Amino acid sequence: MSELLQVIGLTKRFGGLTAVNNVSFSVQEHEILSVIGPNGAGKSTLFKLIASFLRTSGGEVRFRGERISNLAPHITARKGIVRTFQETTIFKGMTVRENVVIAHHLRSKASLFGFFIESPAAARDEQEFGRSADQILEFLDLGEIKNEVASNLPQGHLRALGIAIGLSTDPTVLLLDEPFAGMNHDETRRAVEMVRSVRDRGVTLLLVEHDMSAVMKISDRIVVLNFGEKIAEGTPEEIQSNESVIEAYLGIEDESIGL
Amino acid sequence: MTRTTKIVGVGAVLAILLVGIPALINISGRWDLYYTLTSVALLSIASGGVWLTFYIGRINIGQGAYALMGGYVSAILVVKYGVSFWLTLPIAGLFCGAVSVLIGIPILRLRGVYFAMITLVLTEVARLSMLALPITNGAKGITNIPLPGAVEVFGLTLIPDFATLSNAKPAFYYLSIVLMILCFAGLYRLVNSRLGKLCRSLQQNEELASSIGVNIAYLRVVAYVISSFLGGIGGATFAAISQSVYPSSFTIADSINFMLNCFLGGLGYVFGPMLGTLVLYFGWDLLFQTGEFQLLIFSTVLIALILALPNGLLSLRFSKAGKESVGRE
Amino acid sequence: MEQVLANGLYLGAQYALIALGLTLIFALMNVLNFAHGQLYVLGGFVTYTIYGQLEMPFVAALFAAAVTLALVGGLMERFLFRTVLKRSVREESTMLLAAGTAFFLDAIILLIFGEKQRGVPKIVDGVFNWDFRLIMPYDRILIGFLAIFAIAAFVLYMQYSKTGRALRALAQDRVAAQLMGVNVDRYSMIGFALGAMLAGVVGGLLVTITGVNSGIGGPISIKAFMMVMIGGAGVISGAIAGGFILGMLESVGLSVLHSYGDITYLMIFASLMVFLSIRPQGLMGKPWG
Repeated sequence: MSELLQVIGLTKRFGGLTAVNNVSFSVQEHEILSVIGPNGAGKSTLFKLIASFLRTSGGEVRFRGERISNLAPHITARKGIVRTFQETTIFKGMTVRENVVIAHHLRSKASLFGFFIESPAAARDEQEFGRSADQILEFLDLGEIKNEVASNLPQGHLRALGIAIGLSTDPTVLLLDEPFAGMNHDETRRAVEMVRSVRDRGVTLLLVEHDMSAVMKISDRIVVLNFGEKIAEGTPEEIQSNESVIEAYLGIEDESIGL
Repeated sequence: MTRTTKIVGVGAVLAILLVGIPALINISGRWDLYYTLTSVALLSIASGGVWLTFYIGRINIGQGAYALMGGYVSAILVVKYGVSFWLTLPIAGLFCGAVSVLIGIPILRLRGVYFAMITLVLTEVARLSMLALPITNGAKGITNIPLPGAVEVFGLTLIPDFATLSNAKPAFYYLSIVLMILCFAGLYRLVNSRLGKLCRSLQQNEELASSIGVNIAYLRVVAYVISSFLGGIGGATFAAISQSVYPSSFTIADSINFMLNCFLGGLGYVFGPMLGTLVLYFGWDLLFQTGEFQLLIFSTVLIALILALPNGLLSLRFSKAGKESVGRE
Repeated sequence: MEQVLANGLYLGAQYALIALGLTLIFALMNVLNFAHGQLYVLGGFVTYTIYGQLEMPFVAALFAAAVTLALVGGLMERFLFRTVLKRSVREESTMLLAAGTAFFLDAIILLIFGEKQRGVPKIVDGVFNWDFRLIMPYDRILIGFLAIFAIAAFVLYMQYSKTGRALRALAQDRVAAQLMGVNVDRYSMIGFALGAMLAGVVGGLLVTITGVNSGIGGPISIKAFMMVMIGGAGVISGAIAGGFILGMLESVGLSVLHSYGDITYLMIFASLMVFLSIRPQGLMGKPWG
């Protein structure tokens, strides 16, 4: 294993408020790393910084040693760091399969004009994307509903579709924003398996998550944020017994943390 | 639809447009229809451009600016520099495209009403600029623009000099119809290619689009440039037909009409703007006989149509077939 | 200089009042009311008929204009916008409806009142003259103060009345307001009526100075859009600021660039475009409305 992604002294200030304060950690290749913390701890902001959806106020993110912070989001995506969204964001007006096919855009070799005149490269791309999309849909058990319009899907399928969109970009690192939020026990169990199988495909996963029990089950390592600062980092076992983590959670709100 | 029915369908439409309608006009002697249909064709080209900006999720009320710009570019080149109209036509389109890059880069970051308003203001800026610029001849405009000349290749006359024709109206009709066919064939191709899917991805969720690696800023500008190009082509041809162009040739009212054409035809359907333009323009023309009640009846029908079919005329066909409308958000 | 400032203030007060109505409707329903200028014209003509033709007191005419326009606004919301908002896939369709309504009102106004420019007798005679540094007819001064009074009344009403609070809740978050027990349909209608009424009142005020004609609805709408954009769409303080800024710009521009005619408006429009592309939310708006 090697260090794939390095977060170095990352800081983000909104006006007077410091949402992320001097956070450093690194992500190893092929691991599942979760970022947890109470509400408002800066998890989502951290994700947006990594995916270049926000500009940093200080510090940087390195991918394979190369600085990737403050690029345009699509450039970061092209380098292989792809983010899915908290609000199960998908293309609602398209069918499931269309969603996944369009998400293959990153892999396309043809130019925009090539697509317009249907050049051989574009035709090859089209075919290949269709095949790959079908594979991904099968892989995530979405094959049967691939012609449904996405806006009609139930919550669980939406989440899977979000992950399918992420996978379609052939990412090196996939950032999953609360993949288990709003799921019941059964759905969570399935989703956890899904995330594992994604890792088994060779994708490195970075999660932001609220659901403690799922996080403990799935993660290789965990980073804990509180008030924008990193307060702990380690394996699930280490985190579970970490005093300051428990304090942070209990101190903020009486939230069931599933320990 | 199978390939054969498609080809037959397209062939039938082409035959009607290029042979059927002129024949009918000749038989009925309604020569004035040439002018009406020519206008419809040109306006629907400009509306097609507006439609494309709708397709990436932007409400564009600024097409009048580009139509005006196109008209002036062509007119100035023809009158002051003696350039052939046929050459000025693409130049006008490209000029508008180039200008729209400069304008589009800052304003395409805006969404919703903000974009709509700024494009509305753009139309007014264009009109006022044409009044003020030294080269545009102020409110008097540019008049007596010569008719398009002949195009010859190796002594072979491809297009005759319009001035030598006993009646230039049919010639302009063919010109406009051909331009319209090219425009909508291009738009149809674009929308049904991967490019169209990318545009729809912008319309539905720009953030997600950029996170799957779509260069949204670039794609937005591309769509806007194509849109403005079409506006310029429409405007330039219009100037050639009316042989004149004034600052008031295309105003905010026209910009709004272009938008209405798209709405009325339906934002989810490529041929929507064509149908919308036809209905609006013809409806308006037919109502001319009602004199002072023209605007009243027209607007009443318009409101009734919107109330009955809030998603556009072409939504009729689709809702019957039980299909999802493409423009759904 | 004093003259320019006074003109700007007078103009700004009228503009702000127009912009307030438009921004209120936008904040409530996310509808850009293209017909706003027509509502203004209608208010002008109602006042012209009652004060100018029937020779009844100006106050009565102004009141009649307010009531008529509130009625028209309420009807527009109830029978047109509500239906389309509920049924359309894209809410932009209301733009089409608004444009259709603008045409419709234009037609009605043209049929009833004709296309002539109409004026009314002065409401007050005399001219205020301060050493020729500031010359202003008394009726302008009066109308200016009436407009400022109306703005203040509207702001207080929005701030302290029960209706005003409900409207503000609705503007902030439709769904939340509904959950809190605000009758969304009813208050949308009230808000629309109120917005239309404001337009009518300005029409009634200004008919005594500049007169009214059926063709100015569209241009007025566009000016109103600009003011709303300058201040930030859907924000009350923004609309007031936008109105005064545009009034000032026009006043200053027309005096400085007097000899160049339309250049004033070109400058205003062009700088507005630049301003909006840098700061799309306007002076006081929230980003993306």
